[in-house]
Amino acid sequence: MRKFIAIILCKILRIIGKAVGKGSSLPGKFALKVCPDVLSRVKLPEKIIAVTGSNGKTSTTEMIAHILKENGLNVVYNAEGSNQIEGVATFILSNATLGGKVKGDVLLIESDERYAKYTFKHFSPTYYVITNLYRDQLTRNGHPMWVYNAVKESVKEETTLILNADDPLVSMLGKDRENTLYFGADRLSCDTNEFVGAYNDRVYCPVCNGPMEYSTYHFNHIGHFDCAVCGHSRKDTDFTLTDADLENGFIVLDGKYKIDLALKSLYNIYNLLAAYSVASVLNISGENIAKAISNYTLKNGRVLTFTLGQRKGTFLVAKHENSISYDLSLKVAASSPDDCDVMIIVDAVSRKYFTSDVSWLYDINFDILNCDRVRNIILAGTYANDLAVRFGYTNIGDYKIKVTESIAEAVSLLDNQSKAGIYVITCFSDKAKFLERVKVD
Amino acid sequence: MKILHLYHDLMNLYGDYANILALCKIFDTNGVEYTLEKKTLGDELSLNDYDFIYIGSGSEENQKVALSHLAEHKEDLKNYIESGKTALFTGNSFEMLGEKIESFLGDFEGLGIFSFTTKEQNKTRNTADAIFETEDQILVGFVNKCSKISGVETPLFSVKMGLSNDDTDKKEGIVYKNFYGTHLTGPILVKNPRFLQFVAETITGNSLNNDAFAYEKEGYRITLKKLEERNGAK
Repeated sequence: MRKFIAIILCKILRIIGKAVGKGSSLPGKFALKVCPDVLSRVKLPEKIIAVTGSNGKTSTTEMIAHILKENGLNVVYNAEGSNQIEGVATFILSNATLGGKVKGDVLLIESDERYAKYTFKHFSPTYYVITNLYRDQLTRNGHPMWVYNAVKESVKEETTLILNADDPLVSMLGKDRENTLYFGADRLSCDTNEFVGAYNDRVYCPVCNGPMEYSTYHFNHIGHFDCAVCGHSRKDTDFTLTDADLENGFIVLDGKYKIDLALKSLYNIYNLLAAYSVASVLNISGENIAKAISNYTLKNGRVLTFTLGQRKGTFLVAKHENSISYDLSLKVAASSPDDCDVMIIVDAVSRKYFTSDVSWLYDINFDILNCDRVRNIILAGTYANDLAVRFGYTNIGDYKIKVTESIAEAVSLLDNQSKAGIYVITCFSDKAKFLERVKVD
Repeated sequence: MKILHLYHDLMNLYGDYANILALCKIFDTNGVEYTLEKKTLGDELSLNDYDFIYIGSGSEENQKVALSHLAEHKEDLKNYIESGKTALFTGNSFEMLGEKIESFLGDFEGLGIFSFTTKEQNKTRNTADAIFETEDQILVGFVNKCSKISGVETPLFSVKMGLSNDDTDKKEGIVYKNFYGTHLTGPILVKNPRFLQFVAETITGNSLNNDAFAYEKEGYRITLKKLEERNGAK
């Protein structure tokens, strides 16, 4: 009876919530109050896929859903990205019959990395993808090792893990464990022999604290690692990115399947690879996966093009408090084939909570912008001064840098006759403040 | 001046390394001559060779690794501090100097230079923006921890906003002679140009200026305003 009430309540609140434009976690929250174990009492589809990690959860989930749907599977998933237990409860119960059965071939869940342990107390994912564990929102997440410990608690024995082999911390979750599959990249033409980044979280092995050695770095601390002390080394992969040609915009998976990239960046490649891995374990052929995902443009609005007066620009969403997402966005701007101006906006650190902390600016490798093609760098928003201080510690010439707290003024600085392209990099929290001043294509 | 950045690759979680950049900048702009050395696990250490020692914050795991290494230099560090030389330990690094750390990782004997004790748990991460005050300065920053520290006899700051040593007495950090320990994480010398000037003057014994820190001062002013608004609204 409680289950029934919880489901009804959730459905009604969801309808009201949608009508008034409220968030998607409240209905689940009330449903869990009425029936705390409702998630273990509903009948879920046979296959349950969960996705977590610091970066790329939403993109990976979206691409998995897209591939599976294109291949005729009925997928139920939390497209709205409400990924803590309340949000997961909302979407599961909203999709359940009054008898408590969730119809569909596959239940696909994006889960918050710190709260997954609460969600998966009630049911076990069949496959559990962990994309990466980076420094992300440390003002509430603590640090990557803290998050690792939380994720570890969410892993059930019966679940098959699908892990990023190139991330030493993620890969540690598969240590001494069966039921584990790995995805990763072979040595790529864009790899480096030396570490590149503002900080290195993997100087030491996460298992034994011995010195970690790398034979190749894909980016930051993602690469082929080996600890000579305890033997924690990069595992052989079950799903492999065998080639990446960013200049011509394609990748090759498992030596056979060519996928054209909508965005010529490493940005989304690991998400693609993770999605390919999941689709493969569900027995979808490589050809069909490639067909579904080639040239796929993510719908979550992380890359947009716009027009400002006579100029064309690209808007890239990075995440504040997440240096790797910034580094990858900065690389997109720096690899521009033509001259460009770059604007960086830090106005509100988060849209979800208050903090005035700007320590994370020191985790970002802004020196990536130190190249001739980048002509002007405009630093804008409430924390423009802090950005200016940070840039003062790069090798980028002061003459390139303009600083203004006003986003309107920053935009007017770019509204000129220049032939150079524009790249604007900021977070969701500050996205609209810029886009409302230009014409989005 | 000889500067030591200790455990630069092990205790560096929140952009702490930028404290050294800020110190070098104020020395450079004031014509102070200095050398900077970075040392870590496996390096030979002779602490009393230096005029300033800095350690930043690390994961609970890394802090224990640093502690076991630093334990070999306990007497040196004690003598260094007693001699009145300057040191700044930020984040959880100053916890190493107490009697002990009771942790979810086990119980660890501290360096015993101070009599406080630390208790560490792995259930809740306690984080908060901070406004901390001394008699003549107001600092802004952030605290990110999972520990409580009890028994500090000579705290460094009064807490106007944010987390204190043990959550009860509105006192934070520790000061003893020219040793400064605080749970403020990250680049506190970047965020607080006046405190930077104070630390640099303590190291050199000379009065210095921070005229080259215009953006820092404006950033500080805005952050303090934001935090005071937030603190008032709560």
